[in-house]
Amino acid sequence: MRKRHIALGAILVTGALLLAGCSSAGTNKSTSGIDTNPSGKGKTLTLWDYEGDTSAMGIAWKAAIPIFEKETGAKVKFEAKSFEQIQSTASQVLNSNSAPDVMEYNKGNATAGLLSSEGLLTNMNAAYKAYGWQKDLSSSLQTTARYNTKGVMGSGNFYGIPNYGEFVMVYYNQDSFKKYGISVPTTFSQFESALATFKSHGITPLSESSVEYPLGQLWYQLALSHATRQWVTNYQTYTGKVNFHDADFTFAANTIKDWVAKGYISKNANGTKAQDAGDAFQNGTNPIFYSGSWWYGTFISGIKTFKWGTFLFPGSNLAPGSSGNLWVVPTKAKNKDLAYKFIDITMSKKIQNLMGNSGGIPVAADASAITGAKNKELIANFNTLTKRDGLAFYPDWPTSTFYDQINTALQKLVDGSETPTQFLTELGGEYATGVKQITG
Amino acid sequence: MATTPLMTSRRRVVRAPEESLLPHTGNRGFWLYLIPGLVLVTFIVVVPLVWNIYLSFTSWRGILPPVWIGFANWIQLFGDSEFWESFANSVAMIVAMVIVPTVLGLLVAAVLFDLIGKKFGGRVASFLRATYYLPQLLPVAVAAVVIGWILRPENGALNTVLGGIGLKSLEHDWLGDPSTALLSIMFVMVWVQIGYPVVIFMAALQRVDPELYEAAELDGAGWFQRFRSITINIIRPEIFVVTLTCTIAALKVFGPVFTLTRGGPGNATIVPSYYSYNEFFNAQQVGYGATIATALTVVIVLLTIGFIKAQNRVEQSERSN
Amino acid sequence: MAISTSDLRRPPTTESPLKFRARRTKRTVGDWVLLIVVIAVGFLIAVPFLIIAINSFKSPADYGASGPLSLPKSLYLGGIENFWTYVNFPLKLWNSFFISGTVAILAVLISVLNAFAIGIGRVRGRTWIIVLFLLANTVPQESMLYPLYYMFKQIGLYDSQWAVIIIFTVIQSAFGTYLLSSVYGTFPKEILEAASLDGAGRWQILWRVIVPISRPTLAVLLIFFFIWTWNEFLIPLTFLISNDNQTVPVAISLLQGDKIMDVTTTSASALLGLIPTVVFFLIFQRTLTRGITAGAVK
Repeated sequence: MRKRHIALGAILVTGALLLAGCSSAGTNKSTSGIDTNPSGKGKTLTLWDYEGDTSAMGIAWKAAIPIFEKETGAKVKFEAKSFEQIQSTASQVLNSNSAPDVMEYNKGNATAGLLSSEGLLTNMNAAYKAYGWQKDLSSSLQTTARYNTKGVMGSGNFYGIPNYGEFVMVYYNQDSFKKYGISVPTTFSQFESALATFKSHGITPLSESSVEYPLGQLWYQLALSHATRQWVTNYQTYTGKVNFHDADFTFAANTIKDWVAKGYISKNANGTKAQDAGDAFQNGTNPIFYSGSWWYGTFISGIKTFKWGTFLFPGSNLAPGSSGNLWVVPTKAKNKDLAYKFIDITMSKKIQNLMGNSGGIPVAADASAITGAKNKELIANFNTLTKRDGLAFYPDWPTSTFYDQINTALQKLVDGSETPTQFLTELGGEYATGVKQITG
Repeated sequence: MATTPLMTSRRRVVRAPEESLLPHTGNRGFWLYLIPGLVLVTFIVVVPLVWNIYLSFTSWRGILPPVWIGFANWIQLFGDSEFWESFANSVAMIVAMVIVPTVLGLLVAAVLFDLIGKKFGGRVASFLRATYYLPQLLPVAVAAVVIGWILRPENGALNTVLGGIGLKSLEHDWLGDPSTALLSIMFVMVWVQIGYPVVIFMAALQRVDPELYEAAELDGAGWFQRFRSITINIIRPEIFVVTLTCTIAALKVFGPVFTLTRGGPGNATIVPSYYSYNEFFNAQQVGYGATIATALTVVIVLLTIGFIKAQNRVEQSERSN
Repeated sequence: MAISTSDLRRPPTTESPLKFRARRTKRTVGDWVLLIVVIAVGFLIAVPFLIIAINSFKSPADYGASGPLSLPKSLYLGGIENFWTYVNFPLKLWNSFFISGTVAILAVLISVLNAFAIGIGRVRGRTWIIVLFLLANTVPQESMLYPLYYMFKQIGLYDSQWAVIIIFTVIQSAFGTYLLSSVYGTFPKEILEAASLDGAGRWQILWRVIVPISRPTLAVLLIFFFIWTWNEFLIPLTFLISNDNQTVPVAISLLQGDKIMDVTTTSASALLGLIPTVVFFLIFQRTLTRGITAGAVK
């Protein structure tokens, strides 16, 4: 149960000033410097990731290894890492001779952004060109792959490549919906009346957690309901003024307060972790769970006693979501051409289709090759979102400490110790302080 | 055990405290024996500590050279109200990890050793001791998952049991309600810690001479009286050791808080180490992390020195009595 | 008042001292009540372990349908098998055993040398020397990581089990030095005098007299050091980069992902990870009944 998207933006100005000429290794390579057909005879490619063995990514990437070994003649030394280990030691490992040739790493300013600004990641512009990856990635997916010299995402060089996507949606218990005669809501008011119907039958409709990320993402989703793309850009990349007392934030805070008061969300959310909230949906306690695509595989294998489905949050063009984690090539990697080759194989139709058929969200799959109703539904929803440029990233990304601050403030909103206005004032102040640390 | 010649030999030590216990040798060459230990502790602890003190005056993200920023981190720390609030919770942690386990541990050890061990056999006592020690063997991250299952509000084991025995009104969001979150964590910490004093104290109780007890019994002393005047006296050194090591652990506590509540709800369960860890590894603000860690170290070291001095004083007055 | 004296007097026996004195008095109703109370508390303490055990044998679907508190519908060994092969459990077990065992022995050794100088030798400024050693316990571990990383990288021990062994030898021997110095400070002078009349030098007295007599205390230290080192997480996580070097607790953390975890496999991993330390504790628990000794501190 790790902290979700540790979106720690804070790049010290001092750090940023020092990095001007630091990202060296990759920058000097011209397009012709990339060998797209490298020979790996006698070489070993070290590969790290922290996806579980049975996750869609784990399955797909594992399948890429023999293909790569056959094509290049190199051996792959694969090591499964823990999220926590990469999280707390990445900068140390990448600065040592134990650095792998290619590894999975978290997207975001505080992770890939920070390491790129300190010169630990290879600039992949040339590899992008040589392999033509850019055309596979929609613009919102590219956002998290490029970082400027301060390590802020959205512009600058490519320092990684996302291999899959993720987004947040509504999971619902089809059996419960049927039992109370509720159809899948398509507007916000239908959604609210569905909540009311459940409540009137004594059922708490939403499974929520404010100890960890779920309630924060619901709050952000509510704010996104009427928000514009520009609003998201201002909030996430500090390009414009952000007013926490604007209509969108106010609507979101009031709605959370209202739903708690009406019993749509239990006050127990304050003592519930994300895993517990997922469990409560999984065992049928609550019929609705608003959370991310990362639960998909768990629910497919774990829910056997009822039918379930998903839909995008009604009445909103935007939804929390982004590219998945990135493939990055450390500056100290010893076999960079082989690393690019391996990445390219994971971007191939064959591997991407396998990922899609295993419950993941590939970025470059062949739609016709995806089988299974559940897999199709997931990918179709994701495509709907990206087509309307609807990935709005996550609420905690702007500053390094915002994740905890959002949860802390929401807990006070839920238990009634703060009014929506106080709640927004608190978060607004913390947002401003955090952003100031980054932009100086 | 507590024979007269031994007592006199101890008194002699008090009179000439700087003398080696080995006769006719003085205490000069003994420094040689400290060399391996001192070399190791210098490299592994002192150098990093000094390095941290230096880092607390810099801004550093771990890779590029640190930038000297003078007292900025320290000024920020002193104005950081949450940091100071977190020390209040440290007091709660001391209650939960030092005072309660030590007192309970003494009682449990005495009961297991004196009553259970003597009347129901050593096997029963050994088995129970192993049971009490179990939580000490469990990695914190796993412990947190299980404790979460027990305390969670919906379908948690505790609430289910309360509901089952007709105490539905007592069902509660144990970790989510600010009024009970800290208490719940404290309860968990007692559970984690209790085995350590029990094991140490039971080992120490081996030294209590049964004849001493019998003599006191003949004098008409009750169990508790004997416990107070004989047992506590004899195992006092272990009580000091347990108290000091647990106090250090309580001030440094991090894992259970981080994994169970992340300091919430609100700031109800926040502790100082939470800050430093977060700054080091999540925010990667190594300079500020080092400042918090240094402040924490200073507090702990001062407490340790005070504690050891007090311990010396008590032991000395004990010896001169 | 040291164990040494009691050890010398007590005839060697294979029976534990607890058993030795058992059943001397009659059991009263109060005794039974107390026994029941102590067992009930012991049961409550053990409840979380029972929960781990039942979830270790549950399939993900079973867990999904009925949660963590019900008994498994059928015996499912998949979680244990998954973890065993996924992390190459036997190798991790050996790594943990090697690191913890080496640390326990080295730390006891260092503690003995330090305590000999401080407790027996009574070197000047010993209170401050003890405080210096105790620093290893007082400094928060997270603040040592960056400096130690650069130092060990410099001497080529980054990503080596020896880095972890050296660090924990120092940390554990802090406790050992503190405790053992107190013990040796009350060492019976008669024994030392007798030994030195026989013409033994310091080195000989240490190894032929003091260490054998304080063996029970050293055994207790050894057990604690082993178990404490076994359960350490942060430093092994940071310094053991290659999977081939990793320890059991680090392997358990492999199952906890960014956002979700594989609950039943995690339970199984916890169960597997617990067994070695519990077995170790049970094997050596008899040593504990021989007792630690500590006398007045200097």
